[in-house]
Formats: sequence, C-alpha cells, structure tokens
Amino acid sequence: MLILKPKIEFEVSVDAEITPSIALASEEEIANFEVFYGKEKRKLSELFEVKKEGDSAKIVLEGDFSKVKWVGARMDEGEIVIRGNIGDHCGAYMTGGKIIVEGDALDWVGAEMKGGEIVIEGNARNYIGCAYWGDATGMSGGKITIKGNARNYIGEKMGGGEIEIHGDAEDFIGTEMKDGLIVIHGNCGFVGGDMKGGTIKIKGNFELVPGFKKTDDGFEGDVNVGGKGKVISF
Amino acid sequence: MLHIKNGIVIDPKNGINAEKMDIFIKDGKIVEESEVKNPEVIDASNKLVVAGGFDMHAHIAGSKINVGREMRPEEMRTVRLIAGKFRASIGRVLLTSPAIGYEYAKMGYTSAFEAAQPPVGSLHTHEELDAIPMIDKAALPVFGNWHFVLKYVAEKEYEKLRSFIAWAIERTKGYGVKVVNPGGVEAWMYGSNCKSLDDEVPGFGVTPREIITALIQETENLNLPHSVHLHCNNLGTPGNYQTTIESMKLAEKFSNDRRQVLHVTHVQFNSYAGSSWRDVASGAEEVAKYVNSVDNITIDMGQPIFGHATAMTGDAPFQFTLHKLTGARWSNKDSEIEGGAGIVPIGYLPKNPVHALQWAIGLELGLLVDSDKVVLSTDYPNGGPFTEYPYIMAMLMSRKMREKELERVSPYVQKASSLPAIDREKTLYEVIQMTRSLPARVMGLDVKGHLGIGADADIAIYNLNPLEIDTSNDFETVYKSFKTSAYTIKSGEIIAKDGELVKEVWGRTYWVDARNKVSLDAIDADLTEMFEKYYSLQRENYGVEERWLRKPERLDVGEVR
Repeated sequence: MLILKPKIEFEVSVDAEITPSIALASEEEIANFEVFYGKEKRKLSELFEVKKEGDSAKIVLEGDFSKVKWVGARMDEGEIVIRGNIGDHCGAYMTGGKIIVEGDALDWVGAEMKGGEIVIEGNARNYIGCAYWGDATGMSGGKITIKGNARNYIGEKMGGGEIEIHGDAEDFIGTEMKDGLIVIHGNCGFVGGDMKGGTIKIKGNFELVPGFKKTDDGFEGDVNVGGKGKVISF
Repeated sequence: MLHIKNGIVIDPKNGINAEKMDIFIKDGKIVEESEVKNPEVIDASNKLVVAGGFDMHAHIAGSKINVGREMRPEEMRTVRLIAGKFRASIGRVLLTSPAIGYEYAKMGYTSAFEAAQPPVGSLHTHEELDAIPMIDKAALPVFGNWHFVLKYVAEKEYEKLRSFIAWAIERTKGYGVKVVNPGGVEAWMYGSNCKSLDDEVPGFGVTPREIITALIQETENLNLPHSVHLHCNNLGTPGNYQTTIESMKLAEKFSNDRRQVLHVTHVQFNSYAGSSWRDVASGAEEVAKYVNSVDNITIDMGQPIFGHATAMTGDAPFQFTLHKLTGARWSNKDSEIEGGAGIVPIGYLPKNPVHALQWAIGLELGLLVDSDKVVLSTDYPNGGPFTEYPYIMAMLMSRKMREKELERVSPYVQKASSLPAIDREKTLYEVIQMTRSLPARVMGLDVKGHLGIGADADIAIYNLNPLEIDTSNDFETVYKSFKTSAYTIKSGEIIAKDGELVKEVWGRTYWVDARNKVSLDAIDADLTEMFEKYYSLQRENYGVEERWLRKPERLDVGEVR
C-alpha cells in the first residue's frame, strides 16, 4: 500500500497519472515517478509525502487532491482510496480495479472507462462517464456511483456500463447514449437528446427532450436519430 | 561546406542508378569538388544518397486544415514533441504547423506544396506556411469556380482570363493554377453539382469542359512553371473513371517540351468503375492505360492508408455526399465568389470493402502507370498521413509485401480490382523518381529533385545499401529505412539525423510572377466592379504582399512584352 499526502498547497494543477500498480514498485522508483506541476516536470516525492506499507496494489491519498488530475487514469487493477476531494479526469480510461473518493470529485469522472468501479461519496461535477471531445464512445463498461449530486452531461455517447447518481443531476443526461444504464434517484433537467439506445431510469422529476414516444413502461427515442433508447420513471 | 563521402547515389534526373559518388555542397547548392575547401565530411558508406523528398500535393496550410484541427480535437491528443530546443508538436494525422515541418524533415522530405489555397484566404495560408519550419513551400490557389474565370470563359475573353490568372497568382502569392471540381462548387451554392463535363454551371452558361480547356490554354500561353493541376469533376463516385479520362482528353491539343500540360491529382478518388457502392470496382487499369499512352499528362496517386484520415477538399458538394454516406461530422466553407470547401473525418478500415478497394486502386495506379508519370502521394490528410509514404514505397517494390497485406483486407478487392494479379515490382530507382525527380519536374522546379551541379542541396541519406538490398523480400528493412533518414540536409545544413531533429531552419516560399506577360489594365475595370459588387472586402485590401512572407522566392516568368 502506498500513502500520499500533499507537501504544499498547490497553486496550479498537478497532472499525476498514478495507478495502483506503482504501489508495487520500489520506494525509490515511486519517489522518482514523474508528474507535472503546471508545466514543470517534478518527482512525486517533491510534491507529496510518500509512505509505503506492505506490498499490495493499493494507494491511499490523504488530504486535498482537488488540484490533482488524472488519478487512476488507465488503471487496470488494484484500489485507490481518496480521503478528501479529487480533481478532474479521475479514473478516465480505466479498465479495472476500484476507486473510492470519500470527498467530492470534479469533472470527467470515469470518462471513456471500460471496466472497474468508481464510487464518489460526495458530489461530482460535469462529464461523468462521457466521451472526450471528438471521440465516438464514452464509458463502455464498469460502474460509477455518485452518492451525492452531479451536474451537466452524464454518460454522453455512453456505450455500456452503469452510472448511478443518488442525488440530483442537471441537464443533458445520456445525450447520444448508445447502450448501458443511467440511474438517477433525484431530479434532473433535460434527458435523452439524440439517444440511440440504452436505458435511463429516473426517480424524481425530469424534462424529456422532444422526440420521444410514450410506451407502456416509459418513453422511447430519440426518434430524430431513429433511436431506441428508453427513459423510465421508477 | 559539406562533403558527402562514398554514398551510393540514385539520381534519376541525371540517369545515375546506384553509383558510388561523392557530393560537395557550398552555400546551399551542390557544387564541383574544386569549389569546396575543408568541408565537414559525412561518411555515407553503404548508404543511399538521394535528393530530398518532394511532396507536390498535400494540404498543409490554410483555412481547411485549420478547420479540420478545430473540429477534430481527438486528433490533437498525440504529443510528438514537448517544447524545448524545438517547438511543441502535436497531432495524430492532422498535425500542427511545426509538426508538419518536423515530420517531413525526419523522413528525408525537404519540400511540400499546399495543393488548394482559397484565394480570399491567402493571407491565412501564408501565415500558416510561414509557421512550418524545415521545408520549402508554395501554395496553389484554386481557380475552377472563381466568378472571374466563369465570366471570362463564358464571354470567351481569353486574353482577359490570361491577365486574370497572372493577377490572381501574384495577389495570392501562389504558384500555379489549381482547379477543383470546375463549376461544381459554384453549382453547390445552389445545392447542385457538375457531375459531367457538360453539366452547365448555374448562372454562367459554361461547362466544366470549357473551364478546363480555357485554363489549360491560358496557363500554357503564360507558360507557367506548373501546368493546370486538376481535381476532376465527379470525384468519389462509382463510374467516375470515365469522367477522369474524358477530362484528361481535354489536354490532347496542348503540349509543352518541359513538362506535362495537365496534372490530374489524387486519381485514386477518380478511378472507380461500377454504377453504385454495391458494385463499385477499379477503373485504374483504364486510367493507367490512357495516361501511359500520352506524353502530356501526369498524375499523383492519392493513396489511402488504413487508419485515421480527414477528408478536406475544395470540392464542397463531394464532402457533403461523404458526410451523408458516413454520418461523420461535416464542416462546409464558403470562400465568397471563389468556391468553397468541406471537411469530414474519415477512417480507412481494411475489412471495409470500399476502403479496401480504394487502397487497392491507389496501388494499382502506382504500379500500372509509368514511373515518369505518377507521383507518390496520399493527398495528405485525405488519404492518410504523409508519414506513411515509406509504406507505399515498400508496397510498390514488393509483391510479397502486397500479398501479405492482401490477406488482411476485405476479399472484395480480389474480384473488384486487378491488384492481386499484378506481378510488377517497381525498382528503387523508380520509387526515387516518383518521390523526387518527377514531382520536381511536374512543378517545374529545375533546382529540385536531383543531385546535379547547381541543384539545391536538399539531400536525404538513408541506411539502405541499394547494391545489396533485395527490395522484393526485405520490405520491412525498406520501410524502416525510409521512415527516418540517416541525414536530412536542407539548403546545405543538416536538419535531422537518425530520426532526431538537429536544427530548425526556415525554407523558402516560392511564388510565380507572370505579370510582365499580360496587360493588367485590360481587367482593371472588371476587378473594381466585381470587388465593389460581390466581395466582402475592398480590392485594395485583397491579397498578400511579398514583404509579409518570411522567406519569399519570386519566380519571374515574364519576358518583357
């Protein structure tokens, strides 16, 4: 297990593509792991206190990591626990393993992820499980759970997997969604624009974009793109 | 001063085929041994020494590629170089300006010409060309849908047309006459197209046949360094190979001792037989047969490379068709009374029957057309990255490599193209011709594409011994050797070595001045009137001044009248 604590209050963002597999490396390798502090290349140990305990593929981040981006990006195994807030792109492109954020997350949680699990105990912001701009497919596997609220663009171009939001969300849920499941326990805004497939379940109030047909169990659309997506109240 | 020692030279223009020779360089030129004192010596033993590569048709600058970059953020996530001694360079297939110069240099290419400059966007095009380091450049303004051209052709005012060409090339700091889907882009302004040579252009009563013929005639009357450079009507449509051959026949009555009178570009996209995408087949054999039978036409391949690409042409109606066909993003550009353009992302998949066929047609053209008539190109970024030219070179030289590649592509090519049956393997000499001496001749640049005395010292040295290499069997070595040069020398300076950049240099921007051959007074009133009526900017503000360019090189083709 690897424990990291920020040494300073970060003035600019830190790009740190750390995954649990680095916890298996030697202490020296970990200390020398390269990250970017703004535009400058730094060693992990220059910005964080590094402590290694035992030999498991697990990272614990203690403190405020809200300026630290790309944590857990491309990870394929192991576990990351963040005892605080986390910055953008947490778990982007991940294919396996688990990330638990005990605080809040910023944008792009689990963007284009293919597998594994992300749990945010607090709130998250925009672009959860979305495709990066220009790409054809967002999240395509695994599960993202937000215990608090989320904001705009949830599961855009989603091709599989599940996003569950226990609180409220805002606009553009499942835009251009192709497959997979989005569950929202609270209220949200516009849902299902250009939706081609997949299912969106909402417990609270929501606004459907024009282009959906009423069916026995909910709505189907978006007919503008010949879509067969389902929007269901539960 | 440089002395390239013991290299094995292939120099098709001077008839040198794999001879051990020394080359001497002074002041950016190739000179006699006697002129050089205490030069720096490059040991080129067992290495291939050739002229720097010349990409005569690529889209490397201007509003099209920039819109492509804007609409394809996913292309901009590949980091090639982090800023340091050199500038940051990024891009997957669509590269940033510095990346374009750097990647050409690493591959041993030293010149690349922008093949379609929207005249009203000339300043932008030149700003971008000025941001491309390492290579020599130029741009071809597009004429085929410009209202002046349509008007003069309709009125049969050929002398005015000639004056206009000279005026326009000077104002745009252009190099020659590019024609994209003549008449068709103007028709597109009304939602239509000109699919055949005899479709009338709305509002002008002229046909593509008349436009092409008049532009060839006046380009030859001006005797510009480069001929008319034609992107044919009906591009990207099954059955279009006939339109292509018909367009080529329009050049029949013209000739020029120095060069072709018509260069037909990215012919792969214009060599389809069949009547729909369901029965599309290759028309490359017929096109090749025609090109080989005449002396006044050259072509370039427009070879697709499997993987990502971005279709961008001045052929706006075709881009819309492509967008409807693939469902991919689409951007349309309008350049006032001059034409338009469109941009659509595309990916070539080996298992897709149409893509595989396009790939096969490109290679058929490369193999079947004589090596002094076909230039190697991908129509970057339409067919794919120019960084894969070594793949095309290796494929043309090795049947074995083609057989291996044919195994992974759609079996549709077996029945719809003749590629599987072609035994022909081009030689190293021919491939060097197709990438060096021929494009230089097509562009009318005597100082490029060869290693004779007086030539520009643009030289590539590769880790490849032409006396030993078996290009039929060692295709992997061939590919790898051409991917990165051992040395790239630009104007006598080493700019890249073993695939690493050594020094940033700035190449010239060539432009052609033919004003002395015409009377500009003849079109003065027309210019004033058309600008007042139709342009969104004033005539005085139109065009690019030579002093604004970083390193302009004026080619004066005018004899005093």
